[in-house]
Amino acid sequence: MSAPAIVARGLTKRFGEFTAVHDLALEVARGSIFAFLGANGSGKSTTIRMLIGLLQPSAGSVLVDGVDVIREPRRVRDRIGYMGQRVSLYAGLSLRENVEFYAGLHGLAGAELEGRWGRVRERFELGGAEGERPESLPAGIRQRAGLALAMLHQPRILFLDEPTAGVDVASRGLFWERIQEEAEAGVTVFVTTHFLEEADHCDWVCFLEAGRLVANAAPDELRRRFSTGYRVHLAPARGAAEPGWRDEVRRVLGAAGLTSETAQDGLVLRVPALGGEVFATLRRVQRELEARQGARVRIEPPAMTDVFRRILAEAAP
Amino acid sequence: MRGEALRGALSNVAAVAWKEAAIMRHDRAFLAMVLAQPVMMLLLFGFAIRMQPANVPWAVFDRDGTALSRRFVEDVTATGYFLAPEVVRSYAEGRARLARGQAVAFVVIPAEFRREFELGQPRVQVLLDGTDPISAARVGAFIAGVGARFDGEATPRRGAGAALELRQSFRFNPTLSDRRFYLAVLAGMLLTNFCLSVTAGGLVADREAGTWEQMLSTPTSPLELVLGKLVPYAAMSYVVLAIATLGAGIFFGVWPAGGAASWLALAVVTLPFVLVSLAVGVFVSTLARTSAQAVFLTVFFILPSMVLSGVMLPYQLMPDGVRQVGALLPLRWYQISLRRITLRGAGLDDVAIPVLALSLGFLVVLLAIRRRLKPRLD
Amino acid sequence: MNLRRLRTLLVREARATWRDAFTMTILVSVPLAALLVFSSILSTEVKDLALGVHDACGTASSRRLVAELSARGTFSARPFATRDALDRALVDGSLSVALVIPPDFDRHLRAWRTREAAAQVEVIYDGAEAVLAANAEGFLRGLVTAAVADLAGGADARDGERAGGPRGVAVVTRALYNPELDGTRYMVAGVFGFVLSFLTTLITAVSIVNERITGTFEQLQVTPATSLEILLGKILPLGAVFAADVVLMMVAAGLLLGVWPEGNPLFFVGVSAFYVLTSLALGLIISATSATTAEAVQKTVLFSIPLVQLSGFAFPTRNMPTVVRWLAEVFPATHYIRVSRGIYLRGEGPLSLAPELCLLVAFAGVLIALALRTIGART
Repeated sequence: MSAPAIVARGLTKRFGEFTAVHDLALEVARGSIFAFLGANGSGKSTTIRMLIGLLQPSAGSVLVDGVDVIREPRRVRDRIGYMGQRVSLYAGLSLRENVEFYAGLHGLAGAELEGRWGRVRERFELGGAEGERPESLPAGIRQRAGLALAMLHQPRILFLDEPTAGVDVASRGLFWERIQEEAEAGVTVFVTTHFLEEADHCDWVCFLEAGRLVANAAPDELRRRFSTGYRVHLAPARGAAEPGWRDEVRRVLGAAGLTSETAQDGLVLRVPALGGEVFATLRRVQRELEARQGARVRIEPPAMTDVFRRILAEAAP
Repeated sequence: MRGEALRGALSNVAAVAWKEAAIMRHDRAFLAMVLAQPVMMLLLFGFAIRMQPANVPWAVFDRDGTALSRRFVEDVTATGYFLAPEVVRSYAEGRARLARGQAVAFVVIPAEFRREFELGQPRVQVLLDGTDPISAARVGAFIAGVGARFDGEATPRRGAGAALELRQSFRFNPTLSDRRFYLAVLAGMLLTNFCLSVTAGGLVADREAGTWEQMLSTPTSPLELVLGKLVPYAAMSYVVLAIATLGAGIFFGVWPAGGAASWLALAVVTLPFVLVSLAVGVFVSTLARTSAQAVFLTVFFILPSMVLSGVMLPYQLMPDGVRQVGALLPLRWYQISLRRITLRGAGLDDVAIPVLALSLGFLVVLLAIRRRLKPRLD
Repeated sequence: MNLRRLRTLLVREARATWRDAFTMTILVSVPLAALLVFSSILSTEVKDLALGVHDACGTASSRRLVAELSARGTFSARPFATRDALDRALVDGSLSVALVIPPDFDRHLRAWRTREAAAQVEVIYDGAEAVLAANAEGFLRGLVTAAVADLAGGADARDGERAGGPRGVAVVTRALYNPELDGTRYMVAGVFGFVLSFLTTLITAVSIVNERITGTFEQLQVTPATSLEILLGKILPLGAVFAADVVLMMVAAGLLLGVWPEGNPLFFVGVSAFYVLTSLALGLIISATSATTAEAVQKTVLFSIPLVQLSGFAFPTRNMPTVVRWLAEVFPATHYIRVSRGIYLRGEGPLSLAPELCLLVAFAGVLIALALRTIGART
């Protein structure tokens, strides 16, 4: 496995008496989508600014794509793309002129720019907005244009600060599709958001609370540690349940050491995590009942909001 | 019924005023403006700025070289406005000093100075650097004054032998101190800055933040909102007035000259001035689309106010047209009142015309605001 | 430094400025307005000033004195019957200068030869209008002295005797470079300093604060553009705009006010364009410490008040106390205004202005270096 795309150690930022970020350590694997979550004012933007070299940390070290950002902030500039909280398009210039401007700063022009911008414009559905000025565009389109600009020079690492804030649900879907496409193409994506459910689009989740990391794991790992677990709902596959259906199922589950509760039309089972054992047991249930009427299995993952509520409760002193 | 409506309007105004006052208390930049600017201006006009020439560099080409010609040079130096003279040895050298701006005046004493003096027709030539006309005119007048009194004696006997004894006096400001001239209108300068800045940004800020919309949705009329905005600032203006007046008085001894009557006149004339200035600020902000534009427009109203109102330079000497334009500025009328009150000890009846002019101005601006502010959002 | 990146930055700034109607209006109208307003206000010439006259003598010669004084067009005489009425008019400000001719004026005038006593007249100035009074003083003294000398000479002639002439030295003054002592030329040369210090700083400060508020500045900083490129991309287009402003003002001053530079116009434009960079750098520094546009404007104004007052734009620095004079030397505007007056009014060249020019270069260097640090600084 190659070296991580981002490594931060002991990252601290103090503003006078106030410590905005406290002794942060994180690693971001290449090609992954890294969610950086936290409430407003928890230190997310401060951290992202330190990672891209806009803000000098009070202490600690940052390596981005192997470059020491604190010592050589300019060397990483061509390798990263950044989209700030406010979409930074120049008012008074058309979207097309904004594209030419930012591309020009990365040395992109002519046929190369045309080709790249043509593809990006397609992917982000920006064709109709090209001649418009940003101040006359709806927020959703401005946001998409901002992301398009951040990835136009094909950076290896994308830093996105609240890219989906103030965007309608449909646009947010499009957003995450594009972000995932980038990750599949090998781009590392570091994204902050306060939409907790968006953590599910990501490979890794960090949770920041008052400048401290309170969680740092894969989403499933968090679910396992900080929730009542998955809720598995079992019901007869066809029509009303035959008498004894429930007992049959309970027996199979009991053999695997699992207990269940009675629900209106079937049984409910809670497991802390989904593993091979759980799936094996569920398959056995299905097989046992195959001859009679079969079973329908529905798995509900725990809501991320619940997970974070627990994380916060446990982090509180 | 009408009483009811009036009471309603008054309580609306009071509610808006209360909100504005609460915001003001927490605004540190605002407090800095109220406190730092007076101190800065007080220092500037108390210490720094002088029209009266001082430290004037000058050159002398003394072709006579007698005790009498040296006496003349000494008399000029003794006026106290001049530095020690630079003695040059040729006409060209003196001209060169003028050309380089190293001398404001170049005095040429002719070779026959002493002989001509004895014949009763002495002349000296003075070349002035006219690039700065005020300094040049005054320096020329100083030297001419020395010449008029010159009788070759160590202690000039004033007027002796002349056909005329001119007794000059400068009333209200015997030493013609520029300090008194400027400090008298300090309050006018500070209040112009203050009133225009506080209201100009305000309305646009309300619009940008959406609170304007919020307030329009209540049963308050736009004019009530505007008046409510003015009240706390008008009250605050009296604090600025007090700072300026006490500062000039305590540190520089420039107090209103006419006792209680003058203080009363000061308090009365300030109200319409403050109101019209605040209203101009509001009007400016109805013209602007963003708060940056509002602040720009304000600055470009304040600057001509300072220049054309006559606070810096006498408006009486400005050319026709410019003088009349200046009369449209509130600060013109206020500075006239301030100088009357502070320096000449004028009372209420002496400032009646400025008070009327300023009140009229306030009404006109208020009507203009009403036209601009229709109770809806565009 | 990468020239292609720099060009990209320049093109954007130029485009944005050109399309911003409000800024363009300010850039054209403010310099012109400042030129016209400031050039007209500084006047030493006293014209038609009301002169209150209380003639307690009331003889032919006192009336002739009054007529002489009004005849020159400098003063217009307004008779007052009593001394009280005269004093009253001085208090309410309707009068700035007053002349009182005592009852024994005529008698003394006839008897001056005997040198028992000279004729007396009293002139009262409203010292509250200190500047006006000081300006009027020289004129009035000259006029009264000349008029009385005429009267006395006339009286002598009637008596058939020749006057020995009053003693004292006749001072013949002549003003060079501006013989009419016209304030326009002086102020025109100063207005360049005012506009290029105040307006430039203001526009730059606001433009950068705006970029920071909208987030575009942060976006610029994460691109490969260096601080120097960003700085130049910002100030070169604005510098060009203000250089155009300088030319505009020179032409306007020439055509509208008849004031053309005495020195080399190209040299003047060159020095001005260079000075603009200093002001722009200052604007950058101000903007770096401001969170909102309103704050940036307030700071610029607060900074500009002493700048305008102390730089010698309207009040000669020479007249100020020593400490303040030293302080004024720290403002680049003071030196630029000196240079601009040198070139504009006295036709000076680079050689005689060398010390001031060196100082301007030094200021520009320091301010641009500071601005660079401010932009590059990661707080």
